[in-house]
Amino acid sequence: MSSRVVIDPVSRIEGHLRLEIEVDESSHKVTNAVSAGTMWRGIELIVKNRDPREVWAFTQRICGVCTTIHALASVRNIEDALDIEIPKNANYIRNIMLGTLYAHDHLVHFYHLHALDWVSPLEAIKADPVATAALQNQILQTYGGIISLYTDFLGGNAYPRKFPKATPGYFKTFQDKIKNLVQSGQLGIFAANWWDHPDYKMLPPEVHLIAVSHYLNMLDVQRELVIPHVVFGGKNPHPHYIVGGMNCSISMNDMNAPINMERLAVVEDAVYTQAEAANLFYLIDLLAIGQIYVQKGWTYGGGLSKERVLGYGDYPDEPYKSIKNGDYHQKILYHSNGVVENFAQGVDKAKYYPLTNKDLTDPDVIQEWVTHSWYQYPNNNEGLHPWNGITDPYYTGPKEGTKTHWKYLNENGKYSWIKSPRWKNLPAEVGPLARYMIVYTAVKQGHIKPSWMDEMVVNQIELVSKLLNLPPHVWMPTTVGRTAARALECQLGANASNYFLKKLYDNIKAGDTSVANMEKWEPSTWPSQAKGVGISEAPRGALGHWCIIKDGKIENYQAVVPTTWNGSPRDEKGQQGAFERSMQDTIVLIAKEPLEILRSIHSFDPCLACSTHVYNTQKEEVVSFKIGGACYE
Amino acid sequence: MDGKETFWEALKRHGVSRREFMKFSAIITGLMGLPPAFIPKVVEAMETKPRVPVIWVHGLECTCCSESFIRSATPLASDVLLTMISLEYDDTLSAAAGEALEKHKEDIMKKYHGEYILAVEGNPPLGDDGMYCVVGGKPFLEGLKKAAEGAKAVIAWGSCASWGCVQAAKPNPTTAVPIHKVITDKPIVKIPGCPPIPEVMTGTIMYTVLFGKLPPLDSQGRPKMFYGNRIHDTCYRRPFFNEGMFVEQFDDEGAKKGWCLYKMGCRGPTTYNSCGNLRWYNGLSYPIQSGHGCIGCSADGFWDNGNFYSREQNIPSIGTESNANKVGAVAVGAAAAGAIAHGVISKIRSGKKED
Repeated sequence: MSSRVVIDPVSRIEGHLRLEIEVDESSHKVTNAVSAGTMWRGIELIVKNRDPREVWAFTQRICGVCTTIHALASVRNIEDALDIEIPKNANYIRNIMLGTLYAHDHLVHFYHLHALDWVSPLEAIKADPVATAALQNQILQTYGGIISLYTDFLGGNAYPRKFPKATPGYFKTFQDKIKNLVQSGQLGIFAANWWDHPDYKMLPPEVHLIAVSHYLNMLDVQRELVIPHVVFGGKNPHPHYIVGGMNCSISMNDMNAPINMERLAVVEDAVYTQAEAANLFYLIDLLAIGQIYVQKGWTYGGGLSKERVLGYGDYPDEPYKSIKNGDYHQKILYHSNGVVENFAQGVDKAKYYPLTNKDLTDPDVIQEWVTHSWYQYPNNNEGLHPWNGITDPYYTGPKEGTKTHWKYLNENGKYSWIKSPRWKNLPAEVGPLARYMIVYTAVKQGHIKPSWMDEMVVNQIELVSKLLNLPPHVWMPTTVGRTAARALECQLGANASNYFLKKLYDNIKAGDTSVANMEKWEPSTWPSQAKGVGISEAPRGALGHWCIIKDGKIENYQAVVPTTWNGSPRDEKGQQGAFERSMQDTIVLIAKEPLEILRSIHSFDPCLACSTHVYNTQKEEVVSFKIGGACYE
Repeated sequence: MDGKETFWEALKRHGVSRREFMKFSAIITGLMGLPPAFIPKVVEAMETKPRVPVIWVHGLECTCCSESFIRSATPLASDVLLTMISLEYDDTLSAAAGEALEKHKEDIMKKYHGEYILAVEGNPPLGDDGMYCVVGGKPFLEGLKKAAEGAKAVIAWGSCASWGCVQAAKPNPTTAVPIHKVITDKPIVKIPGCPPIPEVMTGTIMYTVLFGKLPPLDSQGRPKMFYGNRIHDTCYRRPFFNEGMFVEQFDDEGAKKGWCLYKMGCRGPTTYNSCGNLRWYNGLSYPIQSGHGCIGCSADGFWDNGNFYSREQNIPSIGTESNANKVGAVAVGAAAAGAIAHGVISKIRSGKKED
C-alpha cells in the first residue's frame, strides 16, 4: 500500500519548504517525491534600475543565514562588469570573511538545524555522566587525528580554551539542564518531535548526551566564530561591502582606523576559536555519530550526487582581473570548478569536466527552466541563460484542494516557486559534498595541480575513508556523506581564515594598506553597457549572479542560487532536482514519521529564501501593471 | 509545573546561586535602560513571573532576525530560550516539523489563549491571494491572523515585519505589507533593523516578559529605550562631523583616520537605533566603525530613500534633544543649516570644491 505524506512546514531550515512523498509501506521505499519552495519575493525585480554599487545590499537580503555570500557574489558581479581589480588586502579580507562563513554556517547547521535528526534530548537524560565523560575521551582518542590536517599558517598555536570538558561534571550540568526542561512540561523548541522513532535508539544514551550538550554549548560559542564579519563589515548578519574592495580602511598608526592592530587581534582570536570549534567539537561529534550510522548500514540519500555534481570554485589566492575573461579561475585555491558524473561508480570511473569562464557566459551551458515552476516564459519549453532571464510569476494552484488551501501539489503541472537550473540540460547537485567530489576526482585523476586547499580536501577524505573502512565512492554519496563533507569543509574554511589572515599580516608588513580601488567609483567612468558574472561557492553550493548594466543602472539581474539547483522541481524532461532524488533514494521506516526524509533534506542545509527570480525589460509593464493598483505604503 | 514556574525558580533549577541571580538582575536592568533603583523591581518580577510561551512565525524574510537573535551575548540566547521564555513554535529552531509542529502550535494557542507572545519575522504578501508565502499549504497571512487572535501582544521583528523591508521596496512585486496592516487589534512592538541588534531583541523580550507589558513605545511603536536616539547622536565619529573632518572617498586618508562618513552617504543623521551606543557584539563594532556609512536599515522605507552613497541633502537637526517622533515623521526634507555650515568648514579644510 502506498500513501502520500506531506511535510509542511519543514522546520530548521531557512525559508519555506514543502515535501510530499509516496511510500510503499511494505518495502519502505519512496515511490514518488515532490519538493516545493513555497515563497517568492522578487528581489531581482526590485534591483532593476538601481545603482549597481548598492545592489549588494539588496541581494545580500536574499539570505540572512549564509549572510554575506550574496553580497560577495554581487560585488564580484559588478566589478566583473566594470573591469575593476580590487587590492590585495581586500581580496584577503573577503576570503577571511568567506572562511568565517564556512566555519560558522556549517557548525550552526550541524548542531542547531540538523543534530536533532540524529540525536534526542530525551535519550540524553538516560546517560550516565561518568560513562559519557569516559566515552568523550575515547572518541577524542579515536578521531582526534583529524586535527592534524589543520595547518596553523599563523603559527600562533593559541591555547585551546574551549576544549571539550570531558568530565562528568560538565556533562552532568548539561544533563540537568535538559532534565529540568523536560520536567517543567514546557519543552519549547524540543516539543512535539517524533522522539519515539526507533532511529533514536540506535546510539547509546552517552552519545546523545555528548551531542545535546554540545548543541547547547555551541549555541553560545557560535557567535564568537563570526566576529571577523563584525570587525571588517560592521555587523553580522549582513556585514557591509563596497564595489572596488572593502570599506574597512587599515592604519597601524591610528586607533580610530576601522582596522588597526587591536582590531586584527580580535580577528585572530576569533580565527583560533573557529579552528577549535571545528577541530575539537564539530568534526569529532560528526565522526562519532556518522560512523555508527554508517556501520548500521544507513547509506541512503545520495540521489543525484551519485550521478552529477557541479561547482564553480573559490578562494582567489590573489586579486584577479576578471571572471568572465578567465583570470579568476587561474587564481583560485579551491578547485571545485567542474562537473563530476558517476562518482558512485568509483573515483577512477567518474567523469570530470572542468567548468570555467566560458561555461558561465555560454548561453547554452547554464540555463533555467520554468516548466514546473510558477513562472512563465514566452516559450515555456525553453531554458534561458541568466543574462536573458525572465521572471513573470504565474501561480496555478494545487492538484487537490483549493487555490489557497492545498491538499496535494501537482507534480505534473507547476508546483514550486523555484526554477529549474540545468547544466547542458542536465540537473546537478551542488554543495560541500559536490565540491569534495569534484576536487577529489580532479586531483586523483590528475586534472589539476593541487593547491594546499585541494590537498587538504583529499587528505580529509582519505582519513575518513580509513576511519570508516569504506572507499569514498561508498560513503560520500549518502546523507551521512553530505553531512560529513560539510563538517570537513568547516575545518577547511577555518583554515582558510587562518591562511588569509597570515597573508593580510604579511602584506601590511610590506607596507601596503590599501583596501579599495576607487578609480571607477563614479558612474561617469563606466561604459554605457556592460555585462558581468559574479560567482562564489556559498556554504550551500555554487552561487552565480549575472548582471547587465545600462547607462549606469541595472538593466537585468539574475541570481542562480544553490538551493535553486538542489531544490528545483522537475524540468521539461521530467528530470528531478537533488532534493527529490535524495528522497527517492531514502528508506522510510514509518511513513507517518518520515524522520529519514527530514534527515536527508536537512543534510542539504536548504535555504529557501533564495527562490527569487529575474526580470526582463519586455516584462516590465506586465509586472508593474499587475501590482500597480494594490501597492501598499 | 505546567509553565507556572518563575524565572528565579527556573534559574535555581539551573544551578544559579542567589548572588549570581542578583548580579544578573542588575545587568539586565541596565540593559533595559532602567536606573539602578529599578533593580529590586526586576528581582521581584523575576521571582514572581512565570515563563511566557512564545510563538515565532516567519513570513517573507531572509531569517537574519533569527540569526541575529542567537548572537545575543547579554543575555545569552541560550538563557533566553531555555530559562526565560518557552519558545514553543519557531520554523528555524523547532525540532518538530510538518503536521506535528502545526498541531503543537494549535495546542499552545488554545492552552495559553491570551497569554502567549506572538513574534513575527518577515511579513505577509497580499498579491495572488497571499500565495507568494505558503506555510502548511495555506497562505502565511491566514496563519498570521489566526495566531494574532489569541496573542497577548505581538512583536514585529526587524524591518520586514515593522515596515516591509526589501521585498516591499519598489516595485514590491509580491505586495508585501508590514504586519500592522493586517493585525489591527493587538498591541504591536516594532523592533526594526535589518537585522535588529541582538541585545535589542533579547532586551525587549526581557522587558516584556518581566513586567508583563510592552516597554514604553514611541509614536511609531518602537521601544523608546532602544530607538530614542539617532545613530548620529551617539556616533563615535561625531566629533569629526562637528569639526568638519570628512571622508571624501573610500580608503582615503580621512577613512584611515576614522573621520565622519557623512559625505559617503551615511544615514546616521536620520536613523533611530542603538548602533551608536550599544553597537554590535557587545560593543565590538558597528557599520560606521568598520568604515561604511549607515544605510538606515531600521528606518521606514530605507531602500527607497535614495541611493546609499548619495550624500544626505538634509539633516533634520543638529541637536540630540530633538524629538524622535517629530523628526521621524519629517526625516527627509527638513532644514539642514548645521550640515551646510559643516560642509563649508570641510571645504576650507580640504581645499576641494564642494559638490
